[in-house]
Amino acid sequence: MNSPPDESDESTDGISRRAMLAAGATGLAIGASGCINRVQSVVDPNSSTGMSVSILTLPGADGDREGAQIARHLEENLRSVGVNATINTRSRSELLETVLLEQDFDIYVGRHPADFNPDFLYEALHSTYAYESGWQNPFKFMDPSFDSEVRFTDPSFDGALERQRTVEGAEREEAIAELLWRFALEQPFIPVCIPNEYRLVQTDRFSGWEDGHLATRLGYLGLEPAADVEQLHALITDARPTRNLNPLSATARERGTVTDLLYDSLATYEETDDDSESNLRPWLAADWEWNGSTATIELRKDCTFHNGDPLTAQDVEFTYRFLADTTLGRAPEASPAPRYRGQVAAVDSITAEDNYHLTISSSTSPEVAERAFTVPILPRRIWTERVDTRVTGADEFSPPQGTWSLVTANNIPPVGSGPFQFADRSKGEFLLLERFEDHFSVGTDDVPEPTVPELRLEVDPGTASSIDRITSGGADMTTARLETYALGGISDDDPVERVEDTSWTFYHIGFNTLKEPFSNPRFRRAVARLVDKGWITETVFNGHARPVAAPVAEKWTPDSDSEVDSLVWEDKDPVTPFLGTDGELDVEAARSLFAEDYEYDNDGNLLR
Amino acid sequence: MLTQLLLQVVVAVSILLSVGLAGVVGRDRLSLLREEWKSRLRTSAPAIALLLAILLLNRIMRQQGRSLSQEYGVHMTEVFYTIEGEFVLHFQKIASPEANAYFSMSYVYGYVFLLIFPVIAYAARSKTIDFRRLLIAYSLNYAIGLVFYILFIAYGPRNVFVEELTQTMLYDNNPQVQYLTTEVNRNTNVFPSLHTSLSATVATFAYQTRSTYPRWFPIAVCLSISIMISTMYLGIHWGIDVLAGLALAGFCVSLSTYLVDRWSLTAIFEQVRERVHEYRDTVTTPSQENS
Repeated sequence: MNSPPDESDESTDGISRRAMLAAGATGLAIGASGCINRVQSVVDPNSSTGMSVSILTLPGADGDREGAQIARHLEENLRSVGVNATINTRSRSELLETVLLEQDFDIYVGRHPADFNPDFLYEALHSTYAYESGWQNPFKFMDPSFDSEVRFTDPSFDGALERQRTVEGAEREEAIAELLWRFALEQPFIPVCIPNEYRLVQTDRFSGWEDGHLATRLGYLGLEPAADVEQLHALITDARPTRNLNPLSATARERGTVTDLLYDSLATYEETDDDSESNLRPWLAADWEWNGSTATIELRKDCTFHNGDPLTAQDVEFTYRFLADTTLGRAPEASPAPRYRGQVAAVDSITAEDNYHLTISSSTSPEVAERAFTVPILPRRIWTERVDTRVTGADEFSPPQGTWSLVTANNIPPVGSGPFQFADRSKGEFLLLERFEDHFSVGTDDVPEPTVPELRLEVDPGTASSIDRITSGGADMTTARLETYALGGISDDDPVERVEDTSWTFYHIGFNTLKEPFSNPRFRRAVARLVDKGWITETVFNGHARPVAAPVAEKWTPDSDSEVDSLVWEDKDPVTPFLGTDGELDVEAARSLFAEDYEYDNDGNLLR
Repeated sequence: MLTQLLLQVVVAVSILLSVGLAGVVGRDRLSLLREEWKSRLRTSAPAIALLLAILLLNRIMRQQGRSLSQEYGVHMTEVFYTIEGEFVLHFQKIASPEANAYFSMSYVYGYVFLLIFPVIAYAARSKTIDFRRLLIAYSLNYAIGLVFYILFIAYGPRNVFVEELTQTMLYDNNPQVQYLTTEVNRNTNVFPSLHTSLSATVATFAYQTRSTYPRWFPIAVCLSISIMISTMYLGIHWGIDVLAGLALAGFCVSLSTYLVDRWSLTAIFEQVRERVHEYRDTVTTPSQENS
C-alpha cells in the first residue's frame, strides 16, 4: 500500500490490466475510508477522465415526487461507486423534448405510457427507429451483438421484436418471454415499477365511476350525473392540455386521455377480465372482420367532425397515410409522426372501398394490427391544408422529422370527431370542453355517451391540494394518477371514493445508448444493480406499486412454466438484483462490479 | 381556497400592522399622516407610479415570461446543485413541528407584514425621502429579479431533495399555500430569492432609520433573518439564491440612495415654468437692455 510517490512515472508499462484493476479496487476502500493512498497512481490520471452522469428528471415537489426520488436514489448510489452524478430538472414538456426530440441526455427517469399489449416494445426498441425523433426508440438502442449467455430462437433483438408481432397464442407468449429475457439482459432502460393507478372521485354528484378506465375515453362517458349537474369538473396537475392539443405532439402528453375525448379512433380500449381475447371494442368502426391478413372495416354512418364536415373512409385512409408520412410525399424522405409509429407500422396498406368501407392489410397478427385501430382519426381537409401551406414554392421541402411545425403547433382549436369538442381554455389554468351533440354515441343505448354538457379540466398545483379540493366538494375527480405520498389525506367520512384502474404505465430509467459508457450493456446492467426496486416500491410508493424486471402486465411476464425462465419478481430482481439490502448499497461489492470493466483513479473516481 | 387563504393573510397582517404601527410609529405621527397624506403623496407620486408600473409588469410577465424564458433562459438547477450540494439540508437539523409552524408563518404572513409595515412607517415621517427611497428600492428589486428569472431557469431544493424535505416542505404542511404561491410566482423563479432581497432591503432601511424608529430595527432584523432561513428550511431556495438575494438587496439600497432626489420632477417642472415666464416677460415687456 505504501509505494513511494515517485513510482507513478514509470508505472503503466508492464503492469497487467488485471493488476491495475486489482490495485484500483483495493485503493478504493482506502480512499473511501479517508487514508492517503498512492498505489492507484499506476493509472495515469491524465489519460482518462472521471465518469460523470447527468440524470434528467421532473421537479420533485412540483411535478413528480416518485420519479425525483428514484433519480435521487440512483444519484446517491452512482456517487457511491465513484461516478460524478448530478440531477438535472426539467418541466414535463422540456424533459420529453430533451429525451425524445433532441436526444441530448445521459440518463433520465420518467414514466412510460406503455400499453395494455407488450407490442409497445417494438416501437420503443426497434433499431429501425434509432434515427427518428419521437416516442420511437428514444434510447437509440441498436440490435446488439450478443454474448450468448442464453440460447434464443431469434438471431437478433430486432428479430425477437418482430416475431412477437406475427405469431399468435401460446407461440406469441413464448416469443414475448424470449424478448423480455433479451431485454432484461440488455437493459436499454431499467424498468423500475408499475405504480397502482388511483384516482379520487366525488360520489355525490356522479356515479358509475368504475365502468371505464379513467385514463381513456370510456372513463368519461356513461357517468351518471345527479339531477341539475351540468358539468364534470376534473382536476389536472399537468397544465400541458391547456397549451397544446396537437394529437401528434411528442412532448404535450405521455398518454392521450384528452386526445381520446377530442378524437375518435376505430376501436377503443375497454377494461375486461384477464381471460378475454381482446381489450378492444369497435368505436368509430361499427365492426371489422379479418380474412387472413386483411381486415374489412365498416364505419359508423353519418359521423361528422366538430366543424360539421362528414367523417368518411377517406379521412381514415388519410390518417394512416399521414401518420406514416406527415409531408404526404412532398419531401424526398418520409417524415413519420413522432407518435403512434409502432401502431401505424402494422398497417401495410389501407384502401377506402367506398365512403364507409375500408380494407387494411397487415403483415402482423390481427391482435397486433388492431392496436393500429386506436390512433385518432384526423380530418383530411384540415391537415392537407396545413401541409399545403407549409410546402414552400419550388424549393426542396424537407422538414425535420418529429419537430417540424406541423407536429409541434398547438392545434387550438382542435377539430376532431370525438364525444367532446373544444370550447375554451386559459393557458396554465383550464381547458373547457363541451359535449359534441352530433357524436354517434349521443342518444344510443349500446355505446356510453357524454352525459353532461360540459367537461372542465382545471389545473391544480398538486395531488395533496387536489385531494383537499375534491374532499371539500370543490371538484369531481382527479384525471391524473394520485401520487402515493398524499393517499393518507383521503378520509372515509367524505362522499369521495378512491377508484383503481388497471395499470400498465411504468417508471423507468432510460439510457442514451449512443453515448459512452451507456452503450455498454454490461455497464447498464451494473447500473441496474444499483437500483433497489423493492425498496423503492415500499418506501417511495408506500407499497402502492409493483416492482418489475419486465415492463409488462403480469399475464405477459414469463413465469416458471416458461421455456426460457421466470422473470417474475420474487423478493428480488431475477436478472439484476440489487447489490445491497433495504436501499443501502453494498459499496464494496458494487465497486468491484464496476471495476470488472472500468478503472478507478487515486481518489476512487470511476474513469471512462 | 385562494380567497379563504387571502382573507387569512389580510386579517393576520392587519392585526400585526395595527399593533406594530401603534407601538413603533406612535399616535402623533399617524395623525399627522392623516392630515398631510395628500401633499406627501404628491411629492412621492413618481416613486409610487414607478413601483406600481413594475408590479404590473411583473404580473404580466408571470404569463409572458414563460415563453421568453424558454427562448432565452439557461437551465441552472444542475449547476446550483453541483456547486452547493446538500447545503440547505443543514437546516433540517432544527426541524420540528414548531419550527415548521414558525418558518411557514414567517414565510407567508411575516413577509407580507415586513414589506408593508415600512411603507406606512416611512410615509408617516414628515420627511418623505426614506419613503421614496424604499419604493424605488422595492421597484429595483422586482425589476432586476424579473430579468434574472427570465434568464435563469432553476427549480428549488424541494424539487431535488424530496425525501429529506418531506417533513418541512411548505406545501405538504399547508397545501392551500400552493394556490397563493402559484398565483404570484412560477416555480422556476428561484434565483435570486426575492424573499431574501426584499427582507434584507427592509432590514437595511431599518438600520439606517434606527434613530427615528428604534423599536423597528430589531424587529425587522429578526424577521428578515427568519424569512431568509425559512426559504431554505422550507426547501424553496438554494443557498446561492439567498446569497444572490443579499447581493441584490445591497445593490438596490445603494442605487436607491443614489437615484432619489437626483432628478426631481417638481424641480424640472419649476425650471420649465421659470423659462416660460422669462420668455413671456421678454415678449410682453420689451427690455431696453436687450440688444
